[in-house]
Amino acid sequence: MSDGLFDPFKTWYEKRHDYARAWKQKTGGQVVATMCTYSPEELLIAAGMLPVRVLGAHEPQNVTEPHIFGMFCPFCRDSLAQGLLGRFDYAEGVTLTQSCIQYRQAFTSWRMHVPTVKWDYYVPMPNEVQSRFAKLAHYGEIKKFRSFLEGVIGKPIGDDQINEAIAVVNENRRLLKQLFDLRKEANPKVTGLEALYASITAQFVDKREHNELLKKVIAALPNRQLNRNEGVRLMTIGSENDDCGFMAMIESVGCTIVIDDQCSGTRYFWNETKPDADPLKAIADRYCDRPACPTKDYPAHTRFDHVLGLAKDYNARAAIFLQQKFCDPHEGDYPDLKKHLEDNGIPTLFLEFDITNPLGPFRIRVEAFLETLSEEELF
Amino acid sequence: MSAVMQQTTAPEKPEYWRWQENTWVDETMNWRDAKIVTCGIDVGSVSSQAVLVCDGKLYGYNSMRTGSNSPDSARNALQGVMDKCGMKLEDIHYVVGTGYGRVNVPFSHKAITEIACHARGANYMGGNKVRTILDMGGQDCKAIHCDEKGKVTNFLMNDKCAAGTGRGMEVISDLMQIPIAELGARSFDVDEEPPAVSSVCVVFAKSEALGLLKAGWTKNKVVASYCQAMAERVVSLMERIGVEKEFFITGGIAKNPGVVKRIEKIIGIEALKTEYDSQIAGALGAALFGYTLVQKGQAKQG
Repeated sequence: MSDGLFDPFKTWYEKRHDYARAWKQKTGGQVVATMCTYSPEELLIAAGMLPVRVLGAHEPQNVTEPHIFGMFCPFCRDSLAQGLLGRFDYAEGVTLTQSCIQYRQAFTSWRMHVPTVKWDYYVPMPNEVQSRFAKLAHYGEIKKFRSFLEGVIGKPIGDDQINEAIAVVNENRRLLKQLFDLRKEANPKVTGLEALYASITAQFVDKREHNELLKKVIAALPNRQLNRNEGVRLMTIGSENDDCGFMAMIESVGCTIVIDDQCSGTRYFWNETKPDADPLKAIADRYCDRPACPTKDYPAHTRFDHVLGLAKDYNARAAIFLQQKFCDPHEGDYPDLKKHLEDNGIPTLFLEFDITNPLGPFRIRVEAFLETLSEEELF
Repeated sequence: MSAVMQQTTAPEKPEYWRWQENTWVDETMNWRDAKIVTCGIDVGSVSSQAVLVCDGKLYGYNSMRTGSNSPDSARNALQGVMDKCGMKLEDIHYVVGTGYGRVNVPFSHKAITEIACHARGANYMGGNKVRTILDMGGQDCKAIHCDEKGKVTNFLMNDKCAAGTGRGMEVISDLMQIPIAELGARSFDVDEEPPAVSSVCVVFAKSEALGLLKAGWTKNKVVASYCQAMAERVVSLMERIGVEKEFFITGGIAKNPGVVKRIEKIIGIEALKTEYDSQIAGALGAALFGYTLVQKGQAKQG
């Protein structure tokens, strides 16, 4: 039985639109729907705004078909559906920083067809972040974005405000990493579902408030008794995943998710913005240097060793690929990443995610996968 | 004039889809002589089986249609075979549940997935050379790789859609009004092999099949076309994990030569033959796991 330690995160997650509306009423600030975790939140926070990452609702919808193709990934379709259904009607702005082309089209449809949008901005971040010109190019785009935001709020955004925002966001990253590091222990005191609640809520809750709750939870963890068997230690790999029902199911069949390489988890917060005399340069560098999404991981595949390193550091026995159907960037990486992990002793399971997922058949697959890892007693 | 309401009853409709339920025990054995009696219960989406294993050898089974709830289906399946040999539940040392309803077998000691159980069952039925297993079940289809012990090394399941599974064949049987056991033979009674129907979708099958009949196709030709489509679909699943020569088919569709022979033709490999009922593989594997668990438990106790 849960002690309720992570319940405030869960409540934020489940009532995230209520949270944003209440924040707006309380502060009078603008809310910005951010698409993709490459969005430079520091600038939005420095402008006094609340960045709220667009997430899906994991429910059937019939509104996106006229706008984007059915073979766009479920996250694209589910995200756009939330805009078209008016779930983000409190957000004045919407912004996307370039990652994948399908999500860009979802963003374009959003800004054209969601009537409550007052302003929108596209940050054309280079995908080839390994190019020697990338950081300079992105620095230029970050500067343009600041000027744009200054126009929106009608006053300048000073370096001091940006540095202050960087400090708040960095603290959030540091605390999340501290929380995640506790999962390296045997019988971790944080489940994968709880860790997901913590990292996903950081993407739409006011960071200052989020930091306070993280500190409280981290302080309480040493005395926590979870009273559950750790089972098989697993890693999850993929793009966005906030299917909490799925995560709960996995952890109910004899395993614990101890680490992830997903943008709903570690990829979002893993590296901090390094101090620099020019805070805009610091921000540009940070997003170019962060653990890469497959859309930004070429010509070298830096994420292969990064993912393997996480699996080893967190002592993951095996990994599950949570592949969003039709997500070409992740699917393109999959065969070689799978081989890389398996060659290094990390067996893998592949599950294809849709807007809604069939928990029964997935459960059979996960259980069968776990049996292949530990069924020696049966033979 | 008084209106007289005539009570009408719908004429009984033949159930072409209804496959043969059966119960069998090995009359050459006496379960009372066995040191260890174990049972595997496979509660699937369409059929349920109870298999009894005596000292690691198949003794008897009961295979029947799954009812409206898993616990009753498990009870009925087991009762059928126990009645045939005079056994009682307390005579069984260990029960393993498998299949969709595995966690709802009220008297089981352990639940193991049907993927592991089918591999173990196929290893018994087809011998330890079996490496690739195709389980064609009621509402799903699995391609499984295993080692010489029957331990799963890799597997794939169909996604969501139940096209190309046992339930689809039942629907076609009803549509064509051909008893399900005759579908395979009838599918070969055609002048020339037709191409596969474009959709094996259980829902769309009806309109497509009726369209073909209207276009002048014989029933046999429609069935042949459906069997071919089903074979192509499961082969595409198998090819994703690779097919090794020692290939075995379990599940109800293994009894349909119309699908099996077409699969064999596409992959160029003949499936290993068995004397056992292909539908019991999962429950048999479960009972064999139970036997191993009891043996290991006894060994630990010294």
